[in-house]
Amino acid sequence: MSEPVKQRQSYWRRILGHTFVRWGARLGLLWVAMLALVGVFAPFLASSFPLLLSQGGAISSPVLAYLQPLDVVLLAGFFTLLLLYPWRFTWLRKLLILSTVLALAALLAYTWIKPQQLVIYEQYRVAEAAGSYDWVLYAPVPYSPKDYQRDRGDTGLEAPLSQQRRSHWFGTEQNGADVLSRMIHASRIALGIGFIATGIAMLLGVVIGGLMGYFSGVVDILGMRLVEIFEAVPTLFLLLTFVAFFGRSLYIMMVIIGITSWPGYARYVRAEFLRLRKQDFVQAAEAAGLPLPSILFRHMLPNGMGPVLVAASFGVASAILAEATLSFLGLGLVDDPSWGEMLNQAVQSSRFNWWMAAFPGGAIFFTVFAYNLIGESLRDAIDPYLSKSG
Amino acid sequence: MILLSVKQLRTWFRHQNQTIKAVDEVSFEIARGETFCLVGESGSGKSITALSIMQLLPQSNLQQHTGEIRFQAEGKALVDLASLSEAAMQQVRGGRIAMIFQEPMSSLNPVFTIGEQILEAVRLHFSALSEAEAWQRVMHSLEAVQLPDPETRVHSYPHQLSGGQRQRVMIAMAMACEPDLLIADEPTTALDVTVQREILRLMQALQDRTGMAILFITHDFGVVSQIADRVGVMQQGKLVETGATEQIIHRPGHAYTQSLIAALPENLAKSQKHDSVEDQTPLIKLSQLQIHFPVRKGLFRRVVDQVRAVDGVDLEIPRGQILALVGESGSGKTTLGRGILRLTEPTAGQVAYDDTDITQMNRAQLRRFRRHMQIIFQDPIASLNPRLSIAAILTEPMKVHGIGENSEARLEIARDLLNQVRMEAGALWRYPHEFSGGQRQRIGIARALSMDPSFIVCDEITSALDVSVQAEILRMLLELRARRGLTLLFITHNIGVVEYVSDQTAVMYQGKIVEQGKTEDIVNRPRHRYTQQLIAAVPRVPV
Repeated sequence: MSEPVKQRQSYWRRILGHTFVRWGARLGLLWVAMLALVGVFAPFLASSFPLLLSQGGAISSPVLAYLQPLDVVLLAGFFTLLLLYPWRFTWLRKLLILSTVLALAALLAYTWIKPQQLVIYEQYRVAEAAGSYDWVLYAPVPYSPKDYQRDRGDTGLEAPLSQQRRSHWFGTEQNGADVLSRMIHASRIALGIGFIATGIAMLLGVVIGGLMGYFSGVVDILGMRLVEIFEAVPTLFLLLTFVAFFGRSLYIMMVIIGITSWPGYARYVRAEFLRLRKQDFVQAAEAAGLPLPSILFRHMLPNGMGPVLVAASFGVASAILAEATLSFLGLGLVDDPSWGEMLNQAVQSSRFNWWMAAFPGGAIFFTVFAYNLIGESLRDAIDPYLSKSG
Repeated sequence: MILLSVKQLRTWFRHQNQTIKAVDEVSFEIARGETFCLVGESGSGKSITALSIMQLLPQSNLQQHTGEIRFQAEGKALVDLASLSEAAMQQVRGGRIAMIFQEPMSSLNPVFTIGEQILEAVRLHFSALSEAEAWQRVMHSLEAVQLPDPETRVHSYPHQLSGGQRQRVMIAMAMACEPDLLIADEPTTALDVTVQREILRLMQALQDRTGMAILFITHDFGVVSQIADRVGVMQQGKLVETGATEQIIHRPGHAYTQSLIAALPENLAKSQKHDSVEDQTPLIKLSQLQIHFPVRKGLFRRVVDQVRAVDGVDLEIPRGQILALVGESGSGKTTLGRGILRLTEPTAGQVAYDDTDITQMNRAQLRRFRRHMQIIFQDPIASLNPRLSIAAILTEPMKVHGIGENSEARLEIARDLLNQVRMEAGALWRYPHEFSGGQRQRIGIARALSMDPSFIVCDEITSALDVSVQAEILRMLLELRARRGLTLLFITHNIGVVEYVSDQTAVMYQGKIVEQGKTEDIVNRPRHRYTQQLIAAVPRVPV
């Protein structure tokens, strides 16, 4: 006899329900989701290579030939997530499947996909002008981020929509590359640095804070000293030092922001665990002889995650800001555009061109704002004194 | 002479588009110098009635607040409190009607001395008094509530006083303005029985002297029978019955009152006690058990002192019997219960379970052994993990201890357990927050039973519950004991429950067992001086 298993609303469903009832949090989520979609599909949204073209009856898709391994990994991850969503697994299993797929995709993509070394952006435009194709379908923004459009002569700066022939919605920067295209590709960096840096910080913070809180005593005393040491390290200064020694790398940046911001999470988790340790249900779990990992991760951690998640949503925002600051100072990535680097370009160009500052600046503003809205709403939903029904 | 007359009082709240009738058409009168008790289970609207009289209701979700509250102080004009302006109400509040609450610690401001706090109340209502006269009045009121050594205590901060002393200070603050009506909202619920008795006596003495009326709110019929002249019984916002105390307790008219009185542990039909002589081999044997907590101070956290929570306890719990452990708060009952299970590590001594010394086990051995000994907690809300479904809460321990071959089999056992604690199998897929306190306590019992233990520590398991729920839980527990041959350590402070449920009783005082024996001997013929005090202080409903 197995009656239909009817899962009721779990605690986190309830909390998320309360969080996203607010229009602020909904707008924030909408913005972040849009950025994520844009980031995943960036090569198909903004690229100088045609999505489809027909030459002498044969249809081909040049954009696929120019996909980078990273693009493939992101797409694989996205579609796995989409496929996993309707299945009723525990979130832990879903996470496991997702990370396996990502790792596999990364391995395959980096061994099999050899992107063309020599990239000539104008090759298809030139061929099209020569009339060698039957028809061509371009991406909505038909320019790659580093396509300086040399075929069109000395273009340089162009204000948004200033030319009838070539529509640059957000204008071009001083080298002639399309600003919108650069922003679309840069959204990956903004999201990536936020999530990965915060992820590293949370992982470290939860593990160290959890151990401090559960074992207390000597472990706690040593752990707290470690926390104080790391809190004393100025993140930006450390970043500058590392950039000076090891060159510019997005990954180093993520790791450094991650390992300098875990103490905040560790403090939260420690305080929560100290409180939970004395709770009856934890005592009951102990009295039932449950193994330590189960007590720590099944009974205590989910109950102590609330404040950590709130801190994390603010942490994502501050990681994005840190990257933007660094790029603005000219210490960001060399090749790839990022929002902060685009602001830097705006300042450095001979006269102030509003479109070069307003659009990336606005993107940074809205992203940080979105995370803050989500964080604030989450905090209110978790706060038992503010919750509408106990 | 009628002091307060409440007519058709109606206080409705709005909550998520629903109307909650917290107080619904309540009418009663209180005469001068009388003590009127409002009794009822939690959520019946007793406290809201008191707050409605004081006009202290939260305005945010108040939907309707109508009715007449006529109040006539001696030599003053009759006023309707419901239509009084806020400024005029402020004069009445504190001046003519004073109120004291359940938790004296949170009702006192921790950053002011008690003298300053009483002085503020006095100066507010007697602005004509000089500084010295006002101070005089403060001292008088502290003397009136028999606070020991009032000259020095007046300069103390709330945290420097004990719970009973704080409640005395609250009463002194209320009495300083010589009110005509004192509203006391569960003033003794947070206190030990011996302290409760003193506070109740004090209130009666003050009433005799000043002739004030008392509106006393409680859920405890023992207290009612001691203090009340008349009683009103509330159920779901309605006042279902009013009458003289003697009549309500012995000849209740309304069906609800009858069920409440019948659910009192004193009135429950006693089952036959397990005092058969042949099976007296102890299942649990404590010898010289000590649990000390170090007090650390200073930069290097040196141990400067020890708190002797359990200080050399010898105790035997015979197989299949229920041993009640009674004592006041801070006597070490709960620590002892947890020490037996090694949830709190004993400092010294032995705990033997069936001749196996538990204190010698290492972590892994202890973990496997835990299935034999379980615990049920006081607070039904805190004792269940809010993130797990009931199925997960019940089956995880089984899985760890290898009970049931697969998850299907374990779910089947869990269904059976829920059935035994009289809950439906559908509860398996729900989460703790969807259940009431009594239901959660049943789930807590089912969880303890899931490992099929032979010994369970029941730590004040009914003290957070209403009497009717308490009666059901106790009956169920006795039935389970009989069916499964359980041995129980029943920790409680409620002597009525002890009498109903236990075979033997041990009395604990300051970390030591002062007396142990058959329950009826302890309750009826206590030998130790402390036990005598404790038993005498228990408010009882005359049966």
